[in-house]
Amino acid sequence: MSSYTVRSWVTIGLFGALWGVVELTLGSILHVIFPSQANTFLTGVLMGGIGVAVALTGRHFVPNRGSVLLISIVTTLIKLLSPGGIKIGPVVAILVEGALMEAALCIARTPRRWAFVVGGALAVGWNLPHKFIMMRLVFGTRIVEVYTKMLQDGSQMLGLDVSAAILILAIMLLVRLVVGGLGGWCAWELGGAVARRLGRGGPATPPSPPLLGGA
Amino acid sequence: MALALVEWAFGLAWSRGGLRLLRRPRFWAFILTVVALGPFLIGEPDVVMGPLHLSREGFTAGVEMAGQAFVLTLAFSLGIASLSLSDVVALFDRLGLRGLGFATALAMNLLGTLREMATVTLQTLWLRGGMRRPWTALRLFLVTTVANTLRYGDEVVSAAAVRAFDPNEGQPVPLPLRQGDLWLLILLAGCTGVLLAIGGL
Repeated sequence: MSSYTVRSWVTIGLFGALWGVVELTLGSILHVIFPSQANTFLTGVLMGGIGVAVALTGRHFVPNRGSVLLISIVTTLIKLLSPGGIKIGPVVAILVEGALMEAALCIARTPRRWAFVVGGALAVGWNLPHKFIMMRLVFGTRIVEVYTKMLQDGSQMLGLDVSAAILILAIMLLVRLVVGGLGGWCAWELGGAVARRLGRGGPATPPSPPLLGGA
Repeated sequence: MALALVEWAFGLAWSRGGLRLLRRPRFWAFILTVVALGPFLIGEPDVVMGPLHLSREGFTAGVEMAGQAFVLTLAFSLGIASLSLSDVVALFDRLGLRGLGFATALAMNLLGTLREMATVTLQTLWLRGGMRRPWTALRLFLVTTVANTLRYGDEVVSAAAVRAFDPNEGQPVPLPLRQGDLWLLILLAGCTGVLLAIGGL
């Protein structure tokens, strides 16, 4: 943590706040429109995609290892400390997304476009298993029976084979991976565009020199 | 049921804000959906109520699932409601993560400013006819918002520098552990053991 300057911490706080603003405004609206039991698609994908784009853009300006995870921790705390509905799901999702993006960036060592894309894809891709894991944790083992029966009834109603469910799940995962990858790509482009406009270095640039002992 | 009552008593005594969750219709809709789904989706139907074929086993399972969700969600709500920003910052400070506490406090204080900044950018684009080309408008909106955020960050960095703030300076204050903390730890370990034993039965 000693490699983090005041500027690094300020930037982490700012990007955490930006992600937090999106979660608190758009996220709350979407969670009201699409209740958690009814929604398996839109809210997670949209919020995940935007969150990934914000956090990875932040990484552009704080090239230190662990910065994306720290941005996600700040966002989680904003979500927890803000008034409004307390939801376990989004809090866990934000933390895991941050950890997955960080893992991809750690593997790449230096920030690269492909690492941003892979990190984004992994983070948004997490949304699909997240839904089932959280349901299993909150409701217990018997929720699996509920989902299995719903799947069987749904496929019977639509005249589809049950095995088509696997295809549907695969498509849902693919959509998430594409959206996440796109979020990562956009973050790379956006970070570069802003850096050029402000006359700052790209993601490979080391942290700015200390000002007054650490700033 | 007993655990829910313990949580409720705890909430009344120490964390009334956490009990606000019980006044939200959305929370009850979330819990009751599971009770309603259980008789239709779990077990073999053994009760006929008009056109509905229901299962007693499913109803019992639904109530169990709803109870588990209720207890977990309420416990989370009670825990979080008794947490404040100053507690979080103090905790990070004691753990030697002064910078993270600073970043969290900064983020919490800047939420309104950033929201305002984004709204002003959007309105400016709108008034200047930027929405006629949506993709260009989106790109301009994102670049302007991030650039403005970073410019605001420069001001914060300058303010911190003027006050000679350095997150890497200073030693973390050790957490003072007293006899009461030890008793609390033993009590919590005991409760965990009892819960695990009940779960295993």
